[in-house]
Amino acid sequence: MKLPKISYNFKLSANLALITGLMMGILAAAAQGYFEVQPPVGQGVCAITHPSNLVNWLVNNVFGTEFTIHGIFVAVPVLTPIGWIIGSFIAALKNKEFKIRRGPVRENLLAFIFGFLIVNLALLWGSCPIRTAVLASYGWVFAIIILATIAIGVIVACEYIKWKVRRM
Amino acid sequence: MIGVVTLIIGLILGYMGQRSRFCTISGIRDFYLLRDAYRFKGLIGIIIGGIIGFSIFNLVGGEFPGFPLLSEGINVEPPLLIPIMIFGAFGMAFFSTMAEGCPFRQHIMFGEGRLSGIIYIAGLIIGIIFFDIVIVPYLQLLTIVG
Repeated sequence: MKLPKISYNFKLSANLALITGLMMGILAAAAQGYFEVQPPVGQGVCAITHPSNLVNWLVNNVFGTEFTIHGIFVAVPVLTPIGWIIGSFIAALKNKEFKIRRGPVRENLLAFIFGFLIVNLALLWGSCPIRTAVLASYGWVFAIIILATIAIGVIVACEYIKWKVRRM
Repeated sequence: MIGVVTLIIGLILGYMGQRSRFCTISGIRDFYLLRDAYRFKGLIGIIIGGIIGFSIFNLVGGEFPGFPLLSEGINVEPPLLIPIMIFGAFGMAFFSTMAEGCPFRQHIMFGEGRLSGIIYIAGLIIGIIFFDIVIVPYLQLLTIVG
């Protein structure tokens, strides 16, 4: 009987996404444990609640509204979204990859609608997929269920795209 | 302090995110459609990194209330919110697949100069304000009823 061949590519370039993910998990834990980025728990990295807190902080300070902000971000705004954009800009510039260009969503209005719709749906759950994974690693059973829901959502979307392509 | 810490974390992850093309949604999509595990390993990495980070920092004096939360079960108050949350997560995943990237990846594409990433973030900002004005009052009502 032949045993299945198991191989793993240990090259750095083949594992950059894995390393980024590991860094996200570790930095989220460090931010919570040592820099008091809590409550709520697992709040170190989130691509939905952090932009939401930042936008609400700005709107509250400019227009005097009282939109909800997590207690830790009331006095000083959370700046991770700004960091992501600047960090990505530096990386793209350094590697000669920065260029104003179209895509991946071809229609501008559609890209706007996606941003609008996705943040509203994500805020109903209260996290992005990254924070969901962080919460799952914190041991919250409901976050594990939500992670499975996200996987199902992606699979349904893939099947929908395949069905749409077949019809064309 | 929190402002500086979050900015530094953001810069590190923004740089790494651009170099690695990290995306949670595309990770699941590529693995499902193409059996390409490169980005999917990123999602697995968050869970492994989180478990390692929370466990080690918890041992050396970090503040992690209730860690690990496993014994508390689902623990959502009020339970009336559970179907709404599941609907929200499903919708986010579905439309993020259509938008070719998770919200984090869209920030990275903004930094790379991708036009749809920039417009997506504009939609996200308007969406946040819409959520505060229109959706939050209904959620507060549900919380009181629940």
